[in-house]
Amino acid sequence: MKKNHILKNPYVQFILFGLVLATLPIMAQTFPFIKSGYIITIGGTLIYAIAALGLNLLLGYSGLISLGTAGFMGLAAYISAYLTVDLGWPFLASMAVAVIIPTIIGILVGLVSLKIEGMYLAIATLAVSEVIRKTFEEFDFFTNGFSGKAAKFPSFFNISLDRATTYYLIVIVMVLVMILMYNMVNGQLGRALNAMRGSEAASQAMGVNLLKYRLIAFAFATAFAALSGVLYVHFVRYSYPSIWSLKLSLDFLAMIVIGGLRSIYGTVLGAFIIFAVPDLFLKQIPYFNQLSYMFNGILIILVIMFYPNGIVYLRYDIKKWWKKIFDRKGKVNHDAG
Amino acid sequence: MMLDNEILKIDGLSIAFGGLKAVDNLSFSIKENEIFGLIGPNGAGKTTVFNCITQFYKPNAGSLLFRDRKGEVQELTKHKVHDIIKLGLVRTFQNVELIRELSLIDNVLVGGHIDFKSTVFEQALKLPRAVKEEKALRIEAEDILRRLGIYERKDMIAFGQPYGILKKVEFARTLMSHPKLIILDEPAAGLNDVETLQLAQMIRQIRDEFQCSILLVEHDMRLVMDVCDRICAINFGQFLALGSAKEIQRNPAVQQAYLGNSEDEQHEKDSTVH
Repeated sequence: MKKNHILKNPYVQFILFGLVLATLPIMAQTFPFIKSGYIITIGGTLIYAIAALGLNLLLGYSGLISLGTAGFMGLAAYISAYLTVDLGWPFLASMAVAVIIPTIIGILVGLVSLKIEGMYLAIATLAVSEVIRKTFEEFDFFTNGFSGKAAKFPSFFNISLDRATTYYLIVIVMVLVMILMYNMVNGQLGRALNAMRGSEAASQAMGVNLLKYRLIAFAFATAFAALSGVLYVHFVRYSYPSIWSLKLSLDFLAMIVIGGLRSIYGTVLGAFIIFAVPDLFLKQIPYFNQLSYMFNGILIILVIMFYPNGIVYLRYDIKKWWKKIFDRKGKVNHDAG
Repeated sequence: MMLDNEILKIDGLSIAFGGLKAVDNLSFSIKENEIFGLIGPNGAGKTTVFNCITQFYKPNAGSLLFRDRKGEVQELTKHKVHDIIKLGLVRTFQNVELIRELSLIDNVLVGGHIDFKSTVFEQALKLPRAVKEEKALRIEAEDILRRLGIYERKDMIAFGQPYGILKKVEFARTLMSHPKLIILDEPAAGLNDVETLQLAQMIRQIRDEFQCSILLVEHDMRLVMDVCDRICAINFGQFLALGSAKEIQRNPAVQQAYLGNSEDEQHEKDSTVH
């Protein structure tokens, strides 16, 4: 009974989730059907999930849209690559700078969000993102232009990580971000953001300072995106301008819409559906490579039709079906007895 | 400036939208522990007065004095809209602005927003102060829900709850902020006769148990006449009459505003003008 209680603790669940993910490199060595290339795919998916969690805080909780996620993520990736490779900075210091600079820009965008909303905010954030992306192409000395910028696996405290250990680092960071997110959305901040999305007037009447909480939402969303950008560039070890395009920002949007608005596990699930599923399974099917756009489109339509709050809410229906089957079995037994 | 037993004093309040004077030189004051009604026909400017008090609109002229929780007199127009609640002045909404996706108790806790002192980082890291604050406010919210008789539903999602329950949750949310004055925006809208009677009872209960004043902006005459100690009637943004329910009912200016001039009177008036 007590064991059951511990498993229901959300923090224990987050850590267990992380431990399950962390078994992947070992599994890849043990089972031949799990290719070691899967580590890149799953690791990349988890990195994207971190940025998507930030976007969920912004869109799901605060009701503010952003199409700038890719731009901020890319900016952080390039800054970290530049600082570690060209200037020889240590990983942790360059990570700090690479997170702080995009976050400041994100806060400036948040200032604008007080004046413009909805579609116009989407356009404004898209513009910021495209301007940032353009600098990746033009500032050769910083980004190495179209040829792409290379980076190394992270190293700190005299430990140099390799692919598998960087993967562990990603899992740890993602679990930490999930826990932070859980604490934030289930406390005063989460209620204030929810209130702001529900009704600006009502939230103001309850003492919520709109400007302050919009800036907080933008700050965390860009900080998470930047963090994921840093992890990306030190895991994949290169960055091209074309990666950080509108398509990636739209993919983030698709992730949280398909996975689940205002759901932490839903966001991670969405990341798996958008990135891991096409890479691991669908690309095995001939000609599908070009059709992955279509897959996302169809999925969004289906999800919005049947699970408007995201596919993660499927679990309630599964529980219901399970109960039905279970109850029927119980009944049969009872009749027999 | 303000009498000792007054909680809100409106003096010469005026606001115009373009050329339209929505509120024109309006003055009245509300006493402590009083249930005060503000009535008027459609378009009389009731909601505008309301929005001026709560600083959603900034008035063109006039003063709005309020005695805050500490007993100090504050000029409301000098405060930002989200700071008004800190003084002890809180409002409800006509169409119950709750958060559908949150549980009832979380909705009530939104009313405790201003009482959180811990920063976002303390909350994200669940540092002791944040945990302590959250716990204390949760206990307080549960207590308020218990007193309003909806404790059993505290963990249910607001979406899909009966309208009467949602109204109570909104009251509970305002009470979380320890208000000195609660402004109710047409609370009887959408309620049936029985529910309106219960509402009247609840308004009195809140006034007595939580020791606050209530300003009722309302269309439903029965509720106003039933529950209010004093009533102010306005029309076209101007003061019409002030008094007890009976005095207001008997007042010819109020009758005229609500029922219109009879034809004879109209003729009389016209002839006196000529």
